[in-house]
Amino acid sequence: MPRWWSALAPPRGRAGKELLYVLLTAPLTALGFGYVLAGFVVCAVLSITALGVPVLAAMVPGTRLIARTRLALARWLLGEVVLAPLAFRPAAGLFAWLRTGLRDGPGWRAVAFQLSALPLALVELTVVLFTWAWGVVGLTAPLQHALDLNQNTVDGRRGLVVAGVLIDSWVGVALLSAAGAALLVIAPWSLRVVLVVDRLLVRGLLSRDERAVRIAALRRSRAAAVEDAAATLRRIERDLHDGVQARLVALTMNLAMIGDLVGRGPGQTGDLLESARANARDAIKDLRDVIHDIHPPILDNGLEAAIATLTARSSVPVSCDIRIGDRPAAAIETIAYFCVAELLTNVVKHSRATRATVELSRRGDRLRVVVSDNGSGGAHEAGGSGLRGLADRVATVDGTLSLTSPPGGPTVVSVFLPAHL
Amino acid sequence: MRILIAEDLAILREGLAQLLEMRGHQIATVGDAAALHDRAGAWHPDIAVIDIRMPPTHTDEGVRAAVALRAAYPAVGVLLFSQYVETRFAKQLLTGGAAGVGYLLKDRVGDIDEFVDALERVAAGGTALDPEVVNQLFGASQRDHDLARLTRREREALALMAEGRTNAAIAKTFVVTERAVEKHVANIFSKLGLLASESDHRRVLAVLRYLEAA
Repeated sequence: MPRWWSALAPPRGRAGKELLYVLLTAPLTALGFGYVLAGFVVCAVLSITALGVPVLAAMVPGTRLIARTRLALARWLLGEVVLAPLAFRPAAGLFAWLRTGLRDGPGWRAVAFQLSALPLALVELTVVLFTWAWGVVGLTAPLQHALDLNQNTVDGRRGLVVAGVLIDSWVGVALLSAAGAALLVIAPWSLRVVLVVDRLLVRGLLSRDERAVRIAALRRSRAAAVEDAAATLRRIERDLHDGVQARLVALTMNLAMIGDLVGRGPGQTGDLLESARANARDAIKDLRDVIHDIHPPILDNGLEAAIATLTARSSVPVSCDIRIGDRPAAAIETIAYFCVAELLTNVVKHSRATRATVELSRRGDRLRVVVSDNGSGGAHEAGGSGLRGLADRVATVDGTLSLTSPPGGPTVVSVFLPAHL
Repeated sequence: MRILIAEDLAILREGLAQLLEMRGHQIATVGDAAALHDRAGAWHPDIAVIDIRMPPTHTDEGVRAAVALRAAYPAVGVLLFSQYVETRFAKQLLTGGAAGVGYLLKDRVGDIDEFVDALERVAAGGTALDPEVVNQLFGASQRDHDLARLTRREREALALMAEGRTNAAIAKTFVVTERAVEKHVANIFSKLGLLASESDHRRVLAVLRYLEAA
């Protein structure tokens, strides 16, 4: 038996469930359509006030409730095993909440489903009514005729009127009865055919979008990796500070005390002490530089303090404008810091600039970092200026880096980062 | 000297105490910023040597404790003692004036004589800034010649500012009006390129510029 045949195979035992599905989803569809329509109307009416958008942001995810009921019915009565979308997770904060509500993909798909389900429900009900109701009426025509139940009259004759034709003869009634039986036989089939569309809609619009789920999972795991790396570097920094560095300083103290006890002392001892002290001092300095490249300790005090220190160190005068509000994620702070550090190094090394500016600002949930200078321009990403590496690092958190540097300057590098992972 | 050491790492706390005791100083130690304040009130040190990163957050507890200590006990010298030099901390510390404050890297204990010298200077109301601090605050070597553009009188005024004197006190020393001193000070600021927008720190920055050259 070919496959398409099995799909349309006589629905043994399922006819009742499918009929029930149509009858139960009809009011649900009406409710869903009414809900969505009301939502849009209220949103449109309120759109002159600030409440229009919030209504929409609440209505869209709310549609998921009706969709969920529909899915449950489809699973129970149609055997459609479809995974529901992941639960809606509104972000904290009014604007973030609005955004997540308006961008709720599964919510919008549910809205589309509710709108398209209404005409479909009308078709389904029509089919049910036509096949089952007319089937029963036709099949029982002889009984009705015998009991003289049909009181329709045309030209003084009494009987059942079907499509404008009065049927009052036993032959007609027999034919009608046969037609009714035929209708009842094809009734489950025709419903099945119509329900194919229903199933497709349920699968297409109410199911979990596997790709979106995968992307969300990847994004989460990547954020975790980035955060973990930042936390690890910070822990290493702290361990070095409290461990190796402290011991080196203690060693320096010991050497100094020995020097005090021995005095300028007998020849070689003094020289050896002096060189030991110099070694310890250099080791401390080297370690400090290494640590600074791993995780500048000042970052613990926030991006503003860290960048202020950075710009104060620059040999090209830098003016700073930092307005970023609450603190971004630690990993983002680190990336932003190293961006500014690298870009300022470029300014000093390549630009021949006499002034530079660093601006950090917040655009919603994005952090904007702009470093510009009045130098000779002509920088490009491939130019070995470390810009490529910087762009790669920025990209690990879905950030962007753009460069404008016409010959003759000025050079402006803009970096956009998400404030939180 | 009576020296109060605030340092959370035992190895450094004990080492520093031992080193300074060897030089005949009286030492008291505490392990965190909270204890520092109480101990300073009870023990009356000449100077407090304060680690910057201390519990609970290990970020800038020491700096905040130092600023609070200066406000509560102006007579006590305050020396920040850290593995790092950060401009922000230096500015925070110096906002209240450069008298009786210091900021040194920990590796400076390698030279005990110089280190003890610095402690004595701060305890006596002077200043001891690590060359690194000054480097960072005025990293650009191009600004070195700014001081050369000051007149002799302006340099003297700047030197007195560095000792923490007010305009009124400087006027008294110079035997001129306070307005005349204000004019000197304004000239110093403009010649050193200290913009009005930095007014909170201008006096401190000017002093630091002077210290760098000194």
